[in-house]
Amino acid sequence: MSEVPAHSAKAVLPLYWQVQRRRNADLFGLFAVVLAFLAAYGFLFPGFFTLQGFAKFTQSWFPLALVAMAQAILMLTGGISLAVGAMVSLGAVIAATTMAGPLGVTGGAAVVALAGLGIGAATGLIVVKLRLPAIVVTLAGSFIVGGAALLILPRPGGAVPEWLSDMLAGNTPAAFALIVLIVLLWKIYLATPLGLGIYAAGENPVGAYRSGIRVDRVLVAAYAISGLLSTGAGLFVAAQTGSGDPVIGTAFTLNSIAAAVLGGIGFLGGQGSMRGALAGSLLLSLMISVMFFLGFTPVSQYVAQGLIIIGAVAIPQFRRKR
Amino acid sequence: MSSARPARSFKRRTTAILRSRPFLTFAVVLLVWVAASFLRPGFGSFGHLRYLVELAAVIGLVAAGQTFVVIAGGIDLSIAAIVTVSAVSLPLLSIDADPTGVTAIIATLAMTTCIGLGNGLGVAYLRVHPMIMTLAMATFLQGLLIIIAGGSAISSQNPLVAWLGNARPGGIPAGVYVWLAVSALVLLVMHATPLGARIFAIGANPLASKLSGVPVQATTTVVYAISGFTAGIAGVLLLGMNGQGYVGIGDPYLLASIAAVVLGGTSILGGLGTYAGTMPGALLLVTITALITVVNASAGWRSILFGSLVLALLLLSGREQARR
Repeated sequence: MSEVPAHSAKAVLPLYWQVQRRRNADLFGLFAVVLAFLAAYGFLFPGFFTLQGFAKFTQSWFPLALVAMAQAILMLTGGISLAVGAMVSLGAVIAATTMAGPLGVTGGAAVVALAGLGIGAATGLIVVKLRLPAIVVTLAGSFIVGGAALLILPRPGGAVPEWLSDMLAGNTPAAFALIVLIVLLWKIYLATPLGLGIYAAGENPVGAYRSGIRVDRVLVAAYAISGLLSTGAGLFVAAQTGSGDPVIGTAFTLNSIAAAVLGGIGFLGGQGSMRGALAGSLLLSLMISVMFFLGFTPVSQYVAQGLIIIGAVAIPQFRRKR
Repeated sequence: MSSARPARSFKRRTTAILRSRPFLTFAVVLLVWVAASFLRPGFGSFGHLRYLVELAAVIGLVAAGQTFVVIAGGIDLSIAAIVTVSAVSLPLLSIDADPTGVTAIIATLAMTTCIGLGNGLGVAYLRVHPMIMTLAMATFLQGLLIIIAGGSAISSQNPLVAWLGNARPGGIPAGVYVWLAVSALVLLVMHATPLGARIFAIGANPLASKLSGVPVQATTTVVYAISGFTAGIAGVLLLGMNGQGYVGIGDPYLLASIAAVVLGGTSILGGLGTYAGTMPGALLLVTITALITVVNASAGWRSILFGSLVLALLLLSGREQARR
């Protein structure tokens, strides 16, 4: 009797690592490319290995990592968001208008989080209950959220307390610690029924529903978390720049999709993993830095970026076909 | 009996047309026009409506290619960049030997068609997802545009382009004629040719159509080439209306084209839809924008109103039907 649980515990652990190894195997190529770019970055910018250089590097990556995660959660459920950029802008302007006021940093951060969760959940409810396609709802939503950001702060301005900027975007690797924390939280979330349901609902919504997964609830929760991550990225951007800007997030919409897809997240839902999305965002961010250090003109940066994205997506497709 | 049957089928056909998405969208446009002209006397004047239709022509042309791509199950995010490439490079292609300016237009359209072809080859043969392929193409073109234009506006000296943008034969802008001609061609290709049938087939189920002998890869390539072509025409028209091309001139047309397609009842999932719906969709979009301008709100409220109205209209026309 006592042998059975011991035996199963023994079997479970290797299985867990087997699954992990298989997930990593799909991403081996991507990890290799990221490492190569990291080496190039370290070579071009020797300060990388100091605490300060590392802090600066993670800070330039942080907002992209957050929006890549925000996009990846939705793409895993089979959805997508074209409102990520607008949400980043909204988070930035809310932070810049509330934090220096009577609400203080804690109150301001709470408002940013609530706005992200609330708008995300509302988007999720519209997609789920009204059965409208996510891409169109979030397209219309990007106008509404972007308009709200313009109402809160019509032109760049506002302020974020200096100590907060120093803490998040100063010389300490606080951003890196935050990423580690968020990844841990994601691991815990994946162990809950709502988190497990993300893959199931993305892979086969009908099957998931019939197996007793509350698909609607899973989707709304995923949209809410995605909104929270997006406005959180906005808060960080506001801290980085020290002020708010109602259109600062625009580029994040497409970059978040590019990062998630580079990381192997599929458009159909249920394919890919969060570590892939993070690696994809890291690659995108490294690519921009390395090209900057190599002295690429902005023009050739655009051209090279376009080519690398196509190449990185097309090559694994060829390997799969064989 | 024999005389009653055609009469009944005629009646059934009429109700089918009255209940179809394109007709409903068009009815909404007319309703908004009538209501708005009661509230605002100037709104319903011929000159204002003509202006709206002229603006809708550009969106309608961009959305023509987008409709093909969406029906085929893809999406083209490089459309804005292609419109800009067309509007910026045409003035640079002026050829002294040709005073009419036809050669420059043909060369520009050939170029944008080739860009679309590039998208199609990437999607069909490299099997890159349409969103990534066209997005990367847009990034690529953005770099190219900075080389070509260097960030400054370029005035067009092309007489034909100026005529297209400003002439009003018979009181109707030349651009509207272009739109109508392209629309007729698009509807013909979409609903009365084997190519059109294949496009619907690959959008509905690529695997089944491949097994049925549809050349999926070639058809996909053609669809994106069409999109590049119509975006090129839109760019030429836009250049004519503006007089000069600059980087960013095409930016508003990406979201507008997708919104027009979806408002017209075409399923964003592919395989279902018609350009006959996209046309009133484009008109509706322009009308909404004009109404919001009339309200005289701040930029933030305008954007919120626009998003909310599009969302509300989607409930009328954009809901995914249960199918397959």
